[in-house]
Amino acid sequence: MKVLAATRLGAIGILVSTTALAEGHLNEMSPTDLLPLAQAEGTVTVYSFTSRIGKVEAAFEAAYPGIDLQGFDISSTEQIARLKAEAQAGVTNADVIYISDTPVVLTELLETGIIAPYLPPRVADRVASEFQAPLLAQRLSTKVLMYNEESYPDGAPVDSLWDLTREEWAGKVVMVDPLQRGDYLDLMTEIVLRSDEMAAAYEAEFGAAIELGDAANAGERFIMDLFANDLILVGSTDDVNAAVGALGQEAAPLGFTSYSDRRDNEDEGWALQVANDVAPAPGIVFPAVLALAAKPNNPAAARLVVDFLMGDESETGGPGLAPFYVAGDYVTRSDIAPHPDAVPLDEFTAWRIAPAKTATIRAEIGDLILTLQ
Amino acid sequence: MADAAISGPGRRVFFRQGTLLKATVLLLLALLIVLPLLRTVLFTLQPDTVKAWPDVLTGRLSTNLFYKPLGNTLTIGVVVAVGCVLLGGFLAWLVVMTNVPFRKTIGVMATLPFMIPSFAAALAWGSLFRNDRVGGQVGWLQGMGLDIPDWLAWGMVPTLIVLILHYFSLAFTVIAAALATVNSDMVEAAQIAGAKGRRILIGIVLPVTTPALVAAASLCFAGAVSNFATPALLGLPVRMQTLSTRLFGMIEVGQVGRGYVIGILLVLISGAFLWAGNRIVSGRRSYATITGKGGRAKRFDLRGARWPLFAVAMTFLLVSTVVPAVVLTASSLAPSSASLFSNWTLHYWLGESDPSFAQGIPGIVYNEDIVRAVTVTLCLGLAVAVTGMIVGLLASYTTARYREGWASAAITQISFLPLLVPGIAFGAAYIAYLGAPIGPFPALYGTFALLVIAATGYLLPFSVQTGRAVIQQVSGELEESARITGAGFVRRLGAITVPLAIRGLTAGGILIFVKIVRDLSLVVLLFTPTMPVLSVLAYRYASEGFGQFANAITVVILFVSVAATLLANRLQRKSQPWLQN
Repeated sequence: MKVLAATRLGAIGILVSTTALAEGHLNEMSPTDLLPLAQAEGTVTVYSFTSRIGKVEAAFEAAYPGIDLQGFDISSTEQIARLKAEAQAGVTNADVIYISDTPVVLTELLETGIIAPYLPPRVADRVASEFQAPLLAQRLSTKVLMYNEESYPDGAPVDSLWDLTREEWAGKVVMVDPLQRGDYLDLMTEIVLRSDEMAAAYEAEFGAAIELGDAANAGERFIMDLFANDLILVGSTDDVNAAVGALGQEAAPLGFTSYSDRRDNEDEGWALQVANDVAPAPGIVFPAVLALAAKPNNPAAARLVVDFLMGDESETGGPGLAPFYVAGDYVTRSDIAPHPDAVPLDEFTAWRIAPAKTATIRAEIGDLILTLQ
Repeated sequence: MADAAISGPGRRVFFRQGTLLKATVLLLLALLIVLPLLRTVLFTLQPDTVKAWPDVLTGRLSTNLFYKPLGNTLTIGVVVAVGCVLLGGFLAWLVVMTNVPFRKTIGVMATLPFMIPSFAAALAWGSLFRNDRVGGQVGWLQGMGLDIPDWLAWGMVPTLIVLILHYFSLAFTVIAAALATVNSDMVEAAQIAGAKGRRILIGIVLPVTTPALVAAASLCFAGAVSNFATPALLGLPVRMQTLSTRLFGMIEVGQVGRGYVIGILLVLISGAFLWAGNRIVSGRRSYATITGKGGRAKRFDLRGARWPLFAVAMTFLLVSTVVPAVVLTASSLAPSSASLFSNWTLHYWLGESDPSFAQGIPGIVYNEDIVRAVTVTLCLGLAVAVTGMIVGLLASYTTARYREGWASAAITQISFLPLLVPGIAFGAAYIAYLGAPIGPFPALYGTFALLVIAATGYLLPFSVQTGRAVIQQVSGELEESARITGAGFVRRLGAITVPLAIRGLTAGGILIFVKIVRDLSLVVLLFTPTMPVLSVLAYRYASEGFGQFANAITVVILFVSVAATLLANRLQRKSQPWLQN
C-alpha cells in the first residue's frame, strides 16, 4: 500500500514538475518555436471584451493555418463572473483572456490565481514597464465626454465638466448606468479621486470656491449635482453613441463613451467627437489587458495568440493589431506610431486610472451612486 | 395498498394513499429547486457577505436599493396580472364560448405574443414611441411630427403595456384550456332555467374557472415581477428600477451578496402574494368540471357585437404580434438602425464574411456558431419539454388528488418558487450547485445535462400550473371507479388522467419549449462556448451593437416557436373542441 502510494506520489511529483518546466519553457519561446506546438494543439479559445475579436480570428487563422481560433465576445463584467464560476467547477474553457475592468480583474482573477500573466518575449523590450505588470496591457481604451460635431461645428459646447451641472444641460447628458457597467463606475471613482482638480475647475468655472454641502469632497459634489441635473442613464455604450452622435440633431446631447467608437461614425451615421479640452479632464484612460488561464488547455497556442495580438514587426503592427489601430485606442507598444487621426496620448487630457487605487474606493462610490438614483 | 391502509392506525401513516408519490415529488423538487436556492441563501450568510442584509434592508442605501424598486415591482406585478387576466380572459371567452368571427385565427394569434422575447417587444416599442429624451434617433411617431411625452416613451406606462401585451397570451392559454372544459350540463341547466349570457358568465363560468384565473394571474404576476429586459430597456433612461434590474445591476458590478439578498427578498415577497392566491383557490373544495358525461354547450350568440368585438380583439393581437415582427424583420435587413425601411440588404442573413462589414461576421446562414446553436437550442427545447412535463404531471397530479396535508401545500409552493427567481439568479445558483463535482458525480458545468436540469427546474411552474388547472377538473370519480376495478397508479394515470388532461399537458409542453428556446436570463450564465444557444448569441450581438444579427436570430427564434406551436395545434386538433365548429 505504502509503496504504491509513494510511487504514485512520486509519479505525480514528476508529472507536476514536468508541466511546470514545460510552462516555464513556453514562456521563453519565440512565436516560431511556439508554432509547431500550437499547431499540434490545433485550437485555442479566447474570451474577449470586444467584438473586434471577430476580425482577429480571421487574421490569426490566415497567419497561422491549422490553428482554429474560437473567439467569444463577452463583456468584462460577465467574463469575471464566468471565469470565477468555471474556476469553481474546475473547468477551463478559455485559454486567453482579453479584458478591461482591471480594478476587479486584479483582485478577483489575478490574486485568486484564476488567470496568469504572460509577456511575449518578442515584444518585452518594446512595452513600457508600467504596461507589463501586473498584467500585460495591449492598449489603452477610454471613457470620455463626446459631442456631436455636426450639431456643434465650432467644437465642444462645454469647456468644463462643471458645465454639465448647469441648467442648460439638464436632461441632456447621457451615460451608461455606472451600476451596470464597470468602466463607468471606474470613471465616477476617478472623478472622486481627482477631487482637488475638480475643486479647482469649479472655481475656474463659477468664480467662487466650491461649497461641499453634504458631499465629502468636490468629486462627490460633482456626481451628486450631475445626477440632480436629470442625467440620463442608458444600458450600453451604443445607446450613448446613438444618442450623442446621430446625424441630423439640432442640439444633440453630450455623453460619456469610448473615444474609439468614433471609428464607426461613417458606418453608423454618427458625428462623435471627443471634447478633449474640458477642464479638468474629459474622462478616463484605462488598460485593456491580456492574460492566460492559470492552466490553459492549449498553452502554446494561447501564447501565440497573445503574441499575435501585440502586433507584428511592420510599422502599424500588421493584421493582429489592425482592429485596434484606430483613432481613440492607444497601443502600448512603444515602437508603433500613434494613429494619425487621434489626439496624441501626451496631448490627450483624460485621466489615467491606477487600478489598485480605484479598487480601494470603487464600492463606496457605487454606494453613493445608488443613493442618487 | 388499500388493504394496508385499513389494517391498522399504526401503519396508516406510512401507507396512506399518496405518501410515496408525495415523497417522490418532494424529493425531485428539493433536488431541482430547493437545494440550488439554499446555496444562494447560505452564500449570503457567509461572514463577509452577511453585511449585505442590513445594507439592503435598513442602511442609508436601502431606499434606493430595495424599497423604491420594491414599490415599482409590486405595481408592475399587480397591474400586469390584472391586465393579463382581463385581456387574456376576454380573448379566451371570445374564442371558446362565443360565435365571434375567425375564432381560430384569434385563438392561434393569441398564443403568439408569448413567443416573442419581451426584449424584442420593448425594442419595438422604442422604435415607435421613442422621443428625443435620450437624443439620437427618435421613434417613428416622433419622426412623423407627433410630440411623444416622456411618460409614454419611458418608464412605468410603456413597461406595463409591453408586459401586458407579452404575458396576456399566457393567461389566454391557461384560461382557454379551462373554459373549454366547462361542462355543458351546467350551462344548459342555467339556460333552461332562463338565465341570460351575462348571468351564466358570472354565475357559472367564472366560479368554475377560478383556479385557472388565479393560476393565470399568478403566472403573469410572477413573470412580470421577475422580468428584466423590459424595465431595463424602457425604465433605465428615467431611472426606474425594479428588483430584477437592481439584482442584475448588483451582480454585474460584482456585488453578488447584495444581489442575492435582493433576489431572496423578491422570492419571499412574491411567495407571500402567491400563497394568498393559492388560499383563495383551495378555500373551495371542488372544481371538477370534467365528469363521466356531458358535452359541449352551444356558443353565446354575440349578435350585433360580433364584428365590433372581433375588431377589438384583432387590434390587441396585431399590436402584440405583427407590429413587433415587422419591426424586427425590417431591422434585420436595414444596415443602419437610423433608417429602418431603406437600403435593405440580405447580408446579415446570407452574406459571406467581409472584413469591412460588421467586423467580418458572416451572415447567420454561414455562421458556424449560429448553426451549432440552432441544434443545441432545439434539442434543449425538446428535452426540457419532456422532462418538464413528466415532473410537472407528477407534481400537479399529486397536488390535485391529495390536496390535504402539508406535503401538497409544500409541493405547490416549491414548484412555484423558480418563477420568482430572476433567471440570472437561478442560473448563478445552478452554477454554485452543480458547477463543482459532488462526491462521485463530475461537475456538470458546460454540459448539455446542466442546461436541461436547470431549465427543467426553472420552468417547472409552467408545467405544474398548466397541468394543475386541467387535472383539477378531471373528476376524481373517474379515477375512483378505475381504482375499484383494480387499476394501479401508473395505469390510472396512463389510461384516464393523461388522456383527459393531454390538452393542458401538451399546452404546458409547448409553453416550456417556447420559453426555453427564447429564454435569455437563465442561460446567459449557464451558456458556455461549447454549448451555445440562440438567445444568448442574439443578446451578445445586440449588446455589441450588431442589432441586425440579433434581430435576424430573433426572427429565427420566432419562426421556430411559431412553427412548434402550429405543429402542436395540428397534432392536438382532435382534442381542441374550442377550435371546431
